[in-house]
Amino acid sequence: MDYIIECKNVTYSYPLAEIPAIRDLNVSIERGKFYGVIGENGSGKTTFCALLRGFIPDFYKGELQGEVLVEGKKTTDYGGELSAKIGYVFQNPFTQISGVKETVFEEVAYGLENFGVPVEEIERRVVDVMQMTDIESLAEKNPFDLSGGQMQRVALASVIVLEPDILIIDEPTSQLDPEGTESVFAIIKTLKEKHKTIILVEHKIDLIAEYADEVLVFKEGRLIASGDKQELLSDLSLLEQGAALPQVAILGSRLRERGLPVSRIPVTEKQAIEVIAGALKERDKK
Amino acid sequence: MEKSYTEKIQIHKDNKLAALYPSTKLLVVCLYIVCTFIIGTVHVTSVGLSLLLIPWFIAVPVLCIASGAFRKCIKALKAVAVVAAIIIVVQTFLVPGGELLMRFGFITIYEKGLKTAVSLSFMIMNIAGIFVWLFQTTENREIARAMEASGMNYKAAYVFTSTLQMIEILSKNSKTIMNAQKARGVETEGNIFVRAKAFFPSLVPLILGAVISSEERVLTLEARGFSIQGEKTHLFNLEKSGCERKTAAAAIVITVLVLAGRIALWII
Repeated sequence: MDYIIECKNVTYSYPLAEIPAIRDLNVSIERGKFYGVIGENGSGKTTFCALLRGFIPDFYKGELQGEVLVEGKKTTDYGGELSAKIGYVFQNPFTQISGVKETVFEEVAYGLENFGVPVEEIERRVVDVMQMTDIESLAEKNPFDLSGGQMQRVALASVIVLEPDILIIDEPTSQLDPEGTESVFAIIKTLKEKHKTIILVEHKIDLIAEYADEVLVFKEGRLIASGDKQELLSDLSLLEQGAALPQVAILGSRLRERGLPVSRIPVTEKQAIEVIAGALKERDKK
Repeated sequence: MEKSYTEKIQIHKDNKLAALYPSTKLLVVCLYIVCTFIIGTVHVTSVGLSLLLIPWFIAVPVLCIASGAFRKCIKALKAVAVVAAIIIVVQTFLVPGGELLMRFGFITIYEKGLKTAVSLSFMIMNIAGIFVWLFQTTENREIARAMEASGMNYKAAYVFTSTLQMIEILSKNSKTIMNAQKARGVETEGNIFVRAKAFFPSLVPLILGAVISSEERVLTLEARGFSIQGEKTHLFNLEKSGCERKTAAAAIVITVLVLAGRIALWII
């Protein structure tokens, strides 16, 4: 298998913290797959993201045991170059604006300037990305005058324009309205189609069920479950662990308990319609 | 054909003086300040006031008009004038020393008070005035770009621009916080004491918020390759107006003349 990121026996505690934020983590991320990360608040999801990106231990310090490898090389050995490999987008849209640029166009181009990309190429790449993320109409506005959803799209665009192979996206929609959420997920979908490796932390479980390939479940700093989304999200025992499951999965299993011949537990709305319609037809036949 | 975005973000000024390269402007500012100090040492009238600073100040509005930015400058100049006026009043009436010049009841004006008042206030008018000209005719990103071009560390240039941008954002945030505190019953309007009491509950969240968001901003910058080693490119480039040499020469000649005049006065 082609693993792009590997964590080996990782235990990490923040400075001054008594209990580790991540314990005994062993996980391998496959190239080109979409990973959904779920878990309660404080379960270590964001720490996991910072760990993969190398912000732990370089930026946050603290105590790290074990190793995190990106393409076989330790994150601590990369230095600034990791930004070319891994794109990182997080929650708060307001702090993801560089604060030195006066237009959205320049804001998106900022990373490329740092990389030393020639000016003509910057223009071309930035325009492409602005079209993809639907922010071209905002190109000449000041990034601080935008709404939260627009800012989050600018933040995504500023990272996508660097063309990283891996994208770590930490709760991109937690501060956005449904419309903003939808526009952000439309972008994530396009990235998936481009076969980027995506690691997405998200509380909106229905969106994870729809887009992700694999799901990682965290609880109290431990990775308690991981695997194919279809199997994992239809496993009701996870509910007892505090993880959220899609409403349709719960509905499916409750219907099965009531004796409806549901062929498999659905995890997305589309599957639910198919499965339940099929089950109802079968019952009518009898 | 429509302009590309890179072309759109360039700054083009038709006014030759306003379009001067930032470092040339800085040279003009520095020499102007030097001249101000030299002229400040010339004492006229029997009391020995530095009155020549007043006609010298005409240079500032003249520069502003010539740069086509008088309207923008006038507001800032007014603020400077208010400060200078306060200084003149306070110094004149409060600093004792030297001969007693005038007395109206309990108000007294001494020679030394008048002297420091005039020189201090007009010195401030001149120095602040020339900076007003510099900043009203130059955009922040021009200054930052010139700083980087002059070989200064890109981190220092970042600190400069982000600080200036942050001021605007903090003032926006402070309004939000004020409104939030108002909603919780903190009085923010009224006389000076009421406002002072509202100061801390609004200032603490503002500053703490700024500190916390700076942590996330570091991550943002890091994600954009801020610390990557190697040559950076720049979309925005500075234009020279073509008058840099002439302007610098004129500024130096004027400074030399002022200095020569001062020395001549000493000898006579």
